[in-house]
Amino acid sequence: MLAAFADPVFDSQRNFRELLQAMARPAVPRELPNLPPAPVPIIPAAMAILMTLCDATTAVWLQQPNDETTCHLRFHAGTRLVDDPRDADFALITDPESMPPLDTFAQGEMRYPDRSASLIVQVPDLRAHAGAYFAGPGIRQTAQLAIDGLPQRFWQQRAAIATRLPLGIDLFFVAAQRMVALPRTTRLLES
Amino acid sequence: MTPTYNFAFLDENTKRMLRRALLKAVAIPGYQVPFGSREMPLPYGWGTGGIQVTAALLGPDDVLKVIDQGADDTTNAVNIRRFFARTAGVATTERTAEASVIQTRHRIPETPLREDQILVFQVPEPEPLRTLEPREAETRTMHALADYGLMHVKLYEDIAQYGHIATSYDYPVLVDGRFLTSPSPIPKFDNPKLDHSPALMLFGAGREKRLYAIPPYTQVESLAFDDHPFEIQRWEHQCALCGSGESYLDEVVVDDCGTRMFVCSDTDYCGEHLAEAVA
Amino acid sequence: MYVAVKGGEQAIARSLELLAEARRGDPATAELELAQIRQQLRLGVARVMQEGSLYDEELAALAIRQAAGDMLEAIFLLRAYRTTLPRFGYTEALDTTRMRVRRRISGTFKDVPGGQVLGPTYDYTQRLLEFGPTVPIATVEAEVPLAEAMPRVLDLLDAEALIERIDAGADPEPVDLTRKPLMFPANRATRLQNLSRGDEGFLLGMAYSTQRGYAESHPFAGEIRMGEVDVLVCPEELGFAIEIGSITLTECQMINQFHGGNGVPPQFTRGYGLGMGESERKAMSMALVDRALRCDELGEPAYAPAQNQEFVLSHSDNVEASGFVQHLKLPHYVDFQAELSLLRTLSAQHVRHASDRHQAVPEQALEESQA
Repeated sequence: MLAAFADPVFDSQRNFRELLQAMARPAVPRELPNLPPAPVPIIPAAMAILMTLCDATTAVWLQQPNDETTCHLRFHAGTRLVDDPRDADFALITDPESMPPLDTFAQGEMRYPDRSASLIVQVPDLRAHAGAYFAGPGIRQTAQLAIDGLPQRFWQQRAAIATRLPLGIDLFFVAAQRMVALPRTTRLLES
Repeated sequence: MTPTYNFAFLDENTKRMLRRALLKAVAIPGYQVPFGSREMPLPYGWGTGGIQVTAALLGPDDVLKVIDQGADDTTNAVNIRRFFARTAGVATTERTAEASVIQTRHRIPETPLREDQILVFQVPEPEPLRTLEPREAETRTMHALADYGLMHVKLYEDIAQYGHIATSYDYPVLVDGRFLTSPSPIPKFDNPKLDHSPALMLFGAGREKRLYAIPPYTQVESLAFDDHPFEIQRWEHQCALCGSGESYLDEVVVDDCGTRMFVCSDTDYCGEHLAEAVA
Repeated sequence: MYVAVKGGEQAIARSLELLAEARRGDPATAELELAQIRQQLRLGVARVMQEGSLYDEELAALAIRQAAGDMLEAIFLLRAYRTTLPRFGYTEALDTTRMRVRRRISGTFKDVPGGQVLGPTYDYTQRLLEFGPTVPIATVEAEVPLAEAMPRVLDLLDAEALIERIDAGADPEPVDLTRKPLMFPANRATRLQNLSRGDEGFLLGMAYSTQRGYAESHPFAGEIRMGEVDVLVCPEELGFAIEIGSITLTECQMINQFHGGNGVPPQFTRGYGLGMGESERKAMSMALVDRALRCDELGEPAYAPAQNQEFVLSHSDNVEASGFVQHLKLPHYVDFQAELSLLRTLSAQHVRHASDRHQAVPEQALEESQA
């Protein structure tokens, strides 16, 4: 079996600080400093987020589970893996083209909008200063970001969910060592 | 560092729980996220929420500053700084500009914060509606419906009775146009610093078991009426030590005859300003 | 010339030295040993374990010594330590019908199967201060040993269908309040957990209020029992339960009259209290408050403080309450300054208005007299 973080306390701490800044400053890609090994099809950056945030108290849904990935997550993080995406606190999307509709995942309740899923989406590439413009809390004016490999319907589904704010779904996209967050409040601006 | 405890006192499961809650708090600006607040070795009401947030943030590269009433040398600030020096061995500072994480009670530093800094507030009562409606079940519903009529009525009654809004600290704000939020008991003088701040601001209420956040560059509006705009405190005096006319002043009684003087509440700012004036 | 107050760090260091000196007292007197505290102050140890939510007599004794006998401080010490302990698992539900009883009384029946057993109680001590040294007493072995398992008194009523039936396992799996925040409305399992950690004095006052008309309760002490209960765990790798030791518990089952309502027929209802060690006052108070908090479920009019779950559960914890009341000792210069300047404005305004009115009155009077 593959190893996990070399230094669980400080590797998670450094990754968390990047995740926190990513969530606070949406649409700006950052590097995750500490990547653990990961079994296929999970990439190390996605595994780093799971290891940093998940444990026995979180329900994780894998889009493409296999024996090695489930074993790895159970052994290293003790995560509770769920079969139904609606039950997921965290969902890992390893093939965006075939992912379930966004509104499959929990968007929270009106009194408790925090009871909502966070998605980790593996994409081929993400680049700043290219692609679409985004605005919202955490973004000074606008931020430009290109995320490759997402089906067009993804953005339509996300726009539909945005009408239900403060309910919603928070997204992390990962490509190689890079990671970017799009919380529910970040708006894709029409070009 | 005390070796029998984990880095920064909390175990890793607890830190993960806090970190997940903090990410949700940032994703839903101004919304109070319930969290499994732990029993800390400092009393409830003395900063246990702020301490838990700081413990979830801190790493070996951080430089921590702790202030209470704007000052680094007030006893509770000293005690919290001592706690983290002991349990995490982190570097500490009294200089706002040198800190990566600043934990505060009742003030926002005068020195403008930067994007690479995080401000952690200690919060006694996270619910801005609590004094108007003690039942949590009711206030949750008001937030769900964004029904803040109760607060507007309260402020309006102030105006009818006193001619202006009679709230001088913990002055309620609307974050990102959606959630009514307590800025913690900072004087309303500090409220404008919340609006479009370059630094991320995190709020921890340990006893009440709630976390919330104001992301950077987020609209934070202090409640007001068109004919009664929001105003901050102003002094006729300047700081008796550094001469600043811009900072929040503490009133100090200096003799038995009740003679007063006014000095900066932010001791680091005061010292820096004085040094500049001398140079 | 004024200089800003400095030296907080030094002041704290000196204060800690003074505290250590005061705590120890005269060094010529021997320091209290933990065994002495465990054995001779066992009721204090029980309270600290119960409200500290940690069954460990040795640590509770240590906390009491360190807190110089301040029970709330000792509870706080134990809780802060408890936070850092890892969890290995959860025990099976305790079976108090299999308690090795040392005390068991019922206020509802003159005699019950298994008998009334007074056990060690302060109830009939007459409270005369004993000025001399404690004389060692040789206890006399009973002629007939107590029954190994004593039926619950309330089960006798159950046979007649006069008391509500609460099936074991009907309650949802309780959430761990030391890991998850309290949410409202809270179910009974959560409420009981909160009450069991709650301050004895607070619960006593709340329970007392229900007897004085603030909630209709009509309670009877159905049964109070104290003794040792085995603790079982079922490790996943073994697949069967093993005993890991036993703990002393006090259990109280109150019987309350109920005239029926909310679809429930007239019958006796139950209030439940449980405490670690010998903790009868706490267990009884808890049972009364538990019953009062069931008002919604039973369709009873809720008007009293003890029936208001947000009120009771939010204010029962003495570590929370003590911290927040005492935080007023911390500096509030900044907020006070803000209030001071507000009050000066309001006061100046008041004077201005008063003098305006004073000037206005004669003119008005003049106009009226002319009219």
